[in-house]
Amino acid sequence: MTNTDEAVTHVDEVHAAGFHRPKTVTQLRRFLHAALEVEHLTIPVYMTGMYTIRPGTNRTAYYTIRSVLLEEMLHMTLVANLLNAVGGTPRVAHSRFVRSYPATLPMSDASLRPIHLRHFSPEALQTFLTIERPRSFHTNVSEGSGWTSIGQFYAAINEGLTELVREHGEDGVFTGDPARQVGPEDFYNSGGEVFPITGLDSAQTALEVISEQGEGAHDSIWDRDDQLFGEVRQLGHFFRFNEIHTGRHYGPNDAPSLPPSGPLLDVSWDDAYPIVGDSTVADYHRFQESSAVHAKAVEFNAAYATLLCCLERAFRGLPRALALAIPTMLTLRDLSEQLYRNPHPNPEFARDGYFASATFEITPHLVREAQKRVDQHIDEAGLETGEPVDLSGVTVGA
Amino acid sequence: MTLTTTGAEAARGHYDAVIVGAGWAGSLIAKNLDARGWRVLVLEAGEGETQTWSGYLDSLETFHSAVAKVPNSAYRHNRAAPSPDVLDLSPKQLSAQDEREYIANGYFVQNGPLPYGSDYIRALGGAGMHWLGAVPRMHAEDFATHENFGYGRDWPIDASVLEPYYAEAEHQLGVSGDAAEQRDLGVVTDRDYVYPMHQIPPSHIDNHCREKVDGATITDPMGAERTLHVTGLPQARNSTPNPNHHHNTTHGYQPKGAVGLPNYGERCVGNASCVPICPVQAKSSPQRLQDDFSDRVTLATRSVATRVLRGHDDRVRAVEYRSYGDPASPVSEPHTVRTDIVVLAGHAIENARLLLFSELANSSGHVGRNLMDHPTTLAWALADSQVGPFRGPGHTSGWEEFRFGRERASRAPFRIEISNWGWQWSTGAPMSNVAAALGLGGDADGSVRDSGHLGPELRRLLGDSISRQLQLQIAIEQWADPQNRVTIDPSRYRDAMGNPRPIITYDLDDHVRDGVFAAYHVSERIFGELGATSYTHHAPINGAPRIGHFRRGDTDLTYSGAGHGAGTHIMGTDPGDSVVDSFQRTHDHPNLYAVGCGSMPSVGTSNPTLTMAALALRSAERIHRDLVELSQPAVVRPRPAEDAKEMV
Repeated sequence: MTNTDEAVTHVDEVHAAGFHRPKTVTQLRRFLHAALEVEHLTIPVYMTGMYTIRPGTNRTAYYTIRSVLLEEMLHMTLVANLLNAVGGTPRVAHSRFVRSYPATLPMSDASLRPIHLRHFSPEALQTFLTIERPRSFHTNVSEGSGWTSIGQFYAAINEGLTELVREHGEDGVFTGDPARQVGPEDFYNSGGEVFPITGLDSAQTALEVISEQGEGAHDSIWDRDDQLFGEVRQLGHFFRFNEIHTGRHYGPNDAPSLPPSGPLLDVSWDDAYPIVGDSTVADYHRFQESSAVHAKAVEFNAAYATLLCCLERAFRGLPRALALAIPTMLTLRDLSEQLYRNPHPNPEFARDGYFASATFEITPHLVREAQKRVDQHIDEAGLETGEPVDLSGVTVGA
Repeated sequence: MTLTTTGAEAARGHYDAVIVGAGWAGSLIAKNLDARGWRVLVLEAGEGETQTWSGYLDSLETFHSAVAKVPNSAYRHNRAAPSPDVLDLSPKQLSAQDEREYIANGYFVQNGPLPYGSDYIRALGGAGMHWLGAVPRMHAEDFATHENFGYGRDWPIDASVLEPYYAEAEHQLGVSGDAAEQRDLGVVTDRDYVYPMHQIPPSHIDNHCREKVDGATITDPMGAERTLHVTGLPQARNSTPNPNHHHNTTHGYQPKGAVGLPNYGERCVGNASCVPICPVQAKSSPQRLQDDFSDRVTLATRSVATRVLRGHDDRVRAVEYRSYGDPASPVSEPHTVRTDIVVLAGHAIENARLLLFSELANSSGHVGRNLMDHPTTLAWALADSQVGPFRGPGHTSGWEEFRFGRERASRAPFRIEISNWGWQWSTGAPMSNVAAALGLGGDADGSVRDSGHLGPELRRLLGDSISRQLQLQIAIEQWADPQNRVTIDPSRYRDAMGNPRPIITYDLDDHVRDGVFAAYHVSERIFGELGATSYTHHAPINGAPRIGHFRRGDTDLTYSGAGHGAGTHIMGTDPGDSVVDSFQRTHDHPNLYAVGCGSMPSVGTSNPTLTMAALALRSAERIHRDLVELSQPAVVRPRPAEDAKEMV
C-alpha cells in the first residue's frame, strides 16, 4: 500500500492553478483526482440532509436526495474509471480526501458561502442548489478568469482530453489496464450505469453523464438517461433539489430559468432532526461519560473510513470490492440514524432541541485501521471477478 | 412507467385479446402479445397502488403495522374483490369423532375433511407480489408420475418441450442461480445454460447444515435411502448479473430495479421479509413486466371479471366485468368488452370459479376438480450452536434427494426447505419468544403470569433461544385427485359484489399422508445428524389441535398450505377427462384459454411459479398464431384463376 496520507488535495491545487484546461496527461490525471474529490465532497452533505429526515416523513424529498446521492457515487466511479483509463491511480482512502466542513466549494466563485453539513431544511437545500448550479446560470467566463461551476470544470477536462487525444492518439492517452475498469456487474441501480472506459468515445459519454445528470442536458431541466441507458429520464440534480426547495414539481415543459410550475410537493421542514452542523468528535468527547454519542460518532467515522478503503480497492484493480461497500453503507445508515435520533450530548444544545450528528472526520489512524479490516474482508470473501459475490463469511462494519 | 385505467374507460376500447388477471401468467402473456403488436386489455380485480412508489411504501407500512405477518398482511381488506387469508382458518376442539377439526371463515367456504390452508391475493401482480421468489424447475420424472410410479396424471408434454420456455421465463423473471447445481439434480439439462444472475449466497444456516449433514445417509420409513447434500435454490431476486448469461443474441443481464421510482431497487441484501414484501424490490414481481407494457396494453384495475360470454358455435365473444371505485364498498357497475381471444389468468381457484359461473369449458366435468397444493409439514429444533436465523431470504437452500426416485410409488415425494427465518412459521417466532420471555399471554388457567423477564436477562434469553432456531419446511407433492375440488353455489354463497365464492372440498389421500409421515421421520433424523434438539410437535395441545392436524396410525401429523393452488382446469389430450390442451386452450372453446397453475396435471415438489411462467410463454406463442389466423382478411369473392395468370 502506498502512503495513505500525504498532504495532497488535488482540488486545491487545480483550483489554485486557475482556470485552464489540462495540457498534459499528468495534468489531466490531476484534474481527474480533483474531480473525484469534487464528486465526493457532496456525499457527506447530501447524506446529512437525507438521514436527518424523520423516518416515514418527507418521503419524496428523502428518495430524491437518495437518488442524487447514488448518482454522485456513480459519477465518482465513472471518474475513477476514466482516471484508470488514462493510466492514473485513484486515491480515495486518505484522511484529506474528506474535507472538513464547513468546506469551500471548489471550482466555484470565491464569493460563495462555505458548504455546511446541515439537517434537512431550506438552508440545506439552498446549499445543495449552490453545489449543483448549472453553468448556464453563470455568465460566461474566459480562460484564466476563475471557475464558476462544476459543469465548467468538466467541460475543461473534456476539452483537454480531446486535445490530448488529437496530439498523442487514443493509444497514447488511454494507457490504463482495462482490468481495472468497474463495469455494470459490480455497480447498479442509480440513474445511469457504470461502464468501462476504453477510449475517447466512452470517456466523453462518461463526462456527459456526469454533467447532464447534475445540471440537465442541453439547457433543459432533464438528464438523458433515457437516451444513454434506456432508463427513465429524470430531472437534473439542480432541478430535483429545486422541487424540494420550492415545494412544487416541475411541469414537463418548464424552462430551467423559471421556477417549477407543476403540482405541489409535500415538504414538512419540521419533520427533521435539527443538528449543530459543525460538531466534532472532540465536542462529544467532553460528554462521553453521560452520552454514548461520542462512541457512535467514532464508530461512524471508522465505518466511513472503511467505505473509502473499499472504494479504493475497487478502483485499484478489484472492482468486486464494491460489494463490500454495500453492507458498509448499510452500517453507515444505521449508525447515522442512531446519531440523529439522539439529543446532542451538550445539554445546552439539547435544550435548544439539537440532536447529535455524524462528523465525517477521517483521521489517518482510522484509515490505517480500516485498511486492515478491508484487507481482511477481501481475504475472507474472495471477490474474484466473474465469481458470485458471497459475503456470508464476513462481518462487515466499523 | 405503468399506466392503469378504470374499468369504465377500458370498456370503450377494442382489443385483440382480453386477459383476466395481472399476475405472473397474465402479465407474461400480455407483454409477449404486446411485443408482437397486438392490442390487449388486462383486467385486474384488485387494487393497483403498488405500481407507484408511494403506494408500494404504503403496502410496506401496512405490513410493518400488521400484528400477524402473514402473506397478505401487506394488503388492506378489499370488500369488492376479497381474497382468502391464511388467518381465515382456526382450529376447533374435537367434540365428536366425525367432526372437522377446523373452522373456515372469510372468502372460502370449506366443507372437506381437511382444510385447504393456502391463500392468494387479488391485487395488481397477484400472488407474484407476496411470493417468496423460489423458482426451481420441475424434474423430467415429475411430468409422468403415472407412467413412472403409478399415481397421479401425466402431462401431454415432457420436460424437453418446456426447457426453452423455462430458460426464457428465468430471463423474464430475473433469476439468480447456480446452473451446475441444478444440472447435478437433473432439472437443468442444457449443458451451456447460465442463469441471468449469480446465485444468492447460502445462509449461515445453510452452511451449518452443510457442515453437519453433507454426506450423511438418511433412510425414510418406507426404506428410501438417500445421501444428503445441501443444494442452493434458484430465486427470482436480484444478485450479481452473470456476464456469461445468454439471451437470444445478447450477452449478460441488466437487472430490472424497482417499479415506480426511477433507478431504484437494490440487489438482495437480506432484509428477510420477502414474504410478503421486499422493501427494496430486489425480489422480482409481475410489476416489472407491467412497467414495460407499451400503450397497446390497457391495464384496468378494480375490474372484477364476472363471466365469459359465449358466442356462436363454440367460440366465446366477450368478457363481462364489474368496476368499482371504493374497495371498502361493494358498489359496482357492469361492463362488457368484446374480443377475439379470452385468456383467464387468475389464480387456479379464481379461474375455476369463473369457468363454473360462466358454464364454459366443462364438458369433461373436470373444471374445479383436481385441486392441488404442496401440503407443507414443518419441523423445528434448536441447534447446538448459534446459527443466525432471520437473515436473508426465507430459504436459500434445501435437501432435494427425497424429491425423486422409485419410492414415489409408495409415498409422495417431498422437498426439504431449510428455513432462514427460525421458527417463524411454526411458532410465530421471534415475537412468540419475546412474549414468552416477558410472560405475556397468561397461563393455562388464564391468570396473569408474574414470571416475566426484563433487561439483560430478557436479552440473554432471547439471544439464546432465537439464535439457535432451525426450521425445515417440507413440501409434499399432492397428486391430481378429482375429489379435491372447487365448486360454487351462487344461490347460497356470494361475496359482497354478488359473485359466487369458492367452495372448497379438500383432503389428503393416503399417498400424500404417507409422504407427510415420511417427511416427519426424515426431519427427526436430520435433526439427529445436526445434533439439534427437536421441538417438533404435531399433537393437539390441551385438546386443541393445530390447523391441518391428522393422525396416521399412532402418529400425529400436521401440514400447512404452501400457497401453490393448482389443477383446477387440468391439462390433457383427452377432452373427456381434461379441460385444456397443452397450450392451455380449452378443449371446448377454440378462443378461450385458461392459463396458470390450474392447468398443471402434476406439481412435482417444485414451487410452481416458474413452470406456470414457462407454460404461459408457450401459450403466448399459440395465441399469437391464433390471432394471426383470425386477422387474415376474409376472401369474399375468390379471384378467378385466369385473372391470376394474367397478373403474372
